[in-house]
Amino acid sequence: MATPWLLAGRHLRSHWLRSGLTMLSLTVAMFLFCLLISLVTSMEAAVSSAATDRVIVQSKVSLFVALPKDYQSKIEQVPGVEACTKFQWFGGYYQKPENYMAQFGIDHGVFLDMYRKEMGVLPASAATQPAELAKLEPADDARAAAVAALAGDRRAAIVGEALMATYGWKVGDTVPITGTIFTKADGSAWDFNIVGVYRPLKSNVDPNTIFFRYDYLDEALQAHAAIGPPGVGCYSVNVAAGHDPEAVIAATDAIFSNGPQATLTTTEAAFQAGFLSMMGNLPFFIGTIGGAVVFAVVFSVINTMLMSGRQRLHETGILKALGFTDGAVGRLMIGESLLLSLLGGGAGVLLAAVMDTGIKSVLGTMVPAYHMQPSTALLALGVTAAIGIVAGVTPAIVAARLRPTAALRSEG
Amino acid sequence: MALPLAYTVRNIAVRRASALFTALGIAMTVAVFAGVLSLRAGFEGVYKPRGDTNLAVYLRPGATSEGESGLQREKVDILVKERPEIARDAEGRPVAAGETFLAMFLEKLDGGKTNVPLRGIQPMSIPLRGDALRLVEGRWLEFGSDELVVGRRLVTRMKDCQVGQTLVLNLTPFRVVGVMDSEAADAGEIWGDADRMMEAMQRPSFQRVIARVVPGTDFAALSAQLEHDVRTPVSVSSEREYLGKQTTATGGMLQILALILTVIMGIAAVLGSVNTMLASVSSRTHEIGVLLAIGYSRLSIFTAFLVESALIGLIGGALGLLIALPFDGIETGMANWNTFTDVSFAFTLTPALALQSFVLAFALGLLGGALPALRAARLRPVEALREL
Repeated sequence: MATPWLLAGRHLRSHWLRSGLTMLSLTVAMFLFCLLISLVTSMEAAVSSAATDRVIVQSKVSLFVALPKDYQSKIEQVPGVEACTKFQWFGGYYQKPENYMAQFGIDHGVFLDMYRKEMGVLPASAATQPAELAKLEPADDARAAAVAALAGDRRAAIVGEALMATYGWKVGDTVPITGTIFTKADGSAWDFNIVGVYRPLKSNVDPNTIFFRYDYLDEALQAHAAIGPPGVGCYSVNVAAGHDPEAVIAATDAIFSNGPQATLTTTEAAFQAGFLSMMGNLPFFIGTIGGAVVFAVVFSVINTMLMSGRQRLHETGILKALGFTDGAVGRLMIGESLLLSLLGGGAGVLLAAVMDTGIKSVLGTMVPAYHMQPSTALLALGVTAAIGIVAGVTPAIVAARLRPTAALRSEG
Repeated sequence: MALPLAYTVRNIAVRRASALFTALGIAMTVAVFAGVLSLRAGFEGVYKPRGDTNLAVYLRPGATSEGESGLQREKVDILVKERPEIARDAEGRPVAAGETFLAMFLEKLDGGKTNVPLRGIQPMSIPLRGDALRLVEGRWLEFGSDELVVGRRLVTRMKDCQVGQTLVLNLTPFRVVGVMDSEAADAGEIWGDADRMMEAMQRPSFQRVIARVVPGTDFAALSAQLEHDVRTPVSVSSEREYLGKQTTATGGMLQILALILTVIMGIAAVLGSVNTMLASVSSRTHEIGVLLAIGYSRLSIFTAFLVESALIGLIGGALGLLIALPFDGIETGMANWNTFTDVSFAFTLTPALALQSFVLAFALGLLGGALPALRAARLRPVEALREL
């Protein structure tokens, strides 16, 4: 006789409290599991989405050692280099130190064109309310307008859409940013005029950054109106089509091998992987916790299924007396366990998917590109199914081996 | 009349498989709780204020850490020589040193790169730290030559950090001549002569002055006065205060992580334990009827089941600590987001943390037992006796 699958659902319903509690703990656990895995994949996505035709030139010694300004013209002469911009970390905050965000000084003449594939410029104007930004689509004429606006105003800056929304800024606003590395001699904040809003087109671009003109900073330093280290943090280089980035890397490092500052040129991917590696063994750490979560919930489901099996000895005996095979009775037990875990775990995966944007906004700048991949959802469902099967095996074997006469004698 | 504890213990023994599975659920929660917090304890332990309360740190005004700070050589010389609050040693020399600080790329032995704190020191840097700092291998560096002393925790984690090996700083090779150790961050740093560092790095500025000040110095007043000094504008804080500020970002992140994980896993564990206790109650319905009929109060029934659940919780707590215990003492490193450098430390399962873990396990057990215990206490004797 076929397996009486209908009974699986009925069993779960008849002990609704126990089934419900077990499902709920599965929901919570699989939600956490999805969250943890997504944290790791989101951080790794930044590396995998990095451009293959871009290289970063930095000091060989440290992220914090600046390269001389005159390196730029030498880099630009390297065969295969299409364009090069400075990247100078500014390290400032808006109004109070808690409002820390990334700011970079860049070469406004080339920057937006170099990052055409990574950043779209929104057609926002002074009349655009922060809430309306999300409805806009990046446009080429907006990019051209932003390039022109940057050229026309020394204090001009391009700001990420998430940052605009956070502080309610509008195009045309002047925002004061206090520098922690570069301080004005008179103690005042740096003023940046917002002339454009960008939207990240790739997951490795942070929507919370301010890009401003490097020469604004440099001129203040030259004029002793500000104090701070000279030089440039790193250079970003676009490699022309048809040229090998590795050749550009080798040629660049060779130029500066005798100093004054030795360089370490890497692909953008390697550069971003370096940041990930700095966090220590975070992926391993998160993976261990994810494992512990799954482990803990396995016990909970096994426990429930063992209880369910024990209480059904009499009933299993009846099924067998009616002629259901050992296999059918065993399958029923596994089926029930699978149904229980998929209902509970599935809800957890669903919850994580629905709350994706909510979690992203809570994490904020810590993991700006947080997103749950479909593959993570599939993995979580696979793990859930595995939990169901593992938990169902022991009671299934017990049920299959049961002798009907003995079972019928046990109390209902 | 209260039910004897032996009754509860025997109940657990009878349903040992189910009790064990529940305890294991609680154990995993406790293990994660203790694991994350021992990571935090190890990390913050490195920055724990040391015995010496008279160490002062001078930084550029506005800088919150050494990485951001910068002090020109002339200013460092003036500070060291002229500040009246700086103590003098037996020979009358000021007990103060200008130091450079740089987060340097170093390859980890297990692959990848990290930022390791590289400190340029002056002769007074070593005696300044007192007995807390000790040499465990080789010798101290000779000032004026290209030599390094490496922190003990780095030797096993980073490439080229053993005595006799060579590290190339920018273009200049430096030889490792000794290994130092202390309970503080020094054990995760690399030290060399400040002048040699500046030349090798082409970075002609100090990051801070560290000094022993005369006892009773008012740091706040001193800082307020020096911040607007015309010749040497600096901010001053006690080393204790300075160190305390270096852990906020990473320590806070670990704290939040521990909280989120414990709450979510705790919910799952409590649900599991409610299940177990409900089953325990329902399989003993008849027995509870008997107990009620012979005169045991509802309160004592309630208490007996609550105690049973709490005991399972404590077993879970013990198992969880057993799982977390092997991590204690494992050397690891994490980025300190305040300084952007790698900090070497070991997982530290403190006695206080172990106690907190037990309290957590006990609480999870109680939470899981409350509802089923209430259900048991509310059973009506006549109906309960009818159940078989």
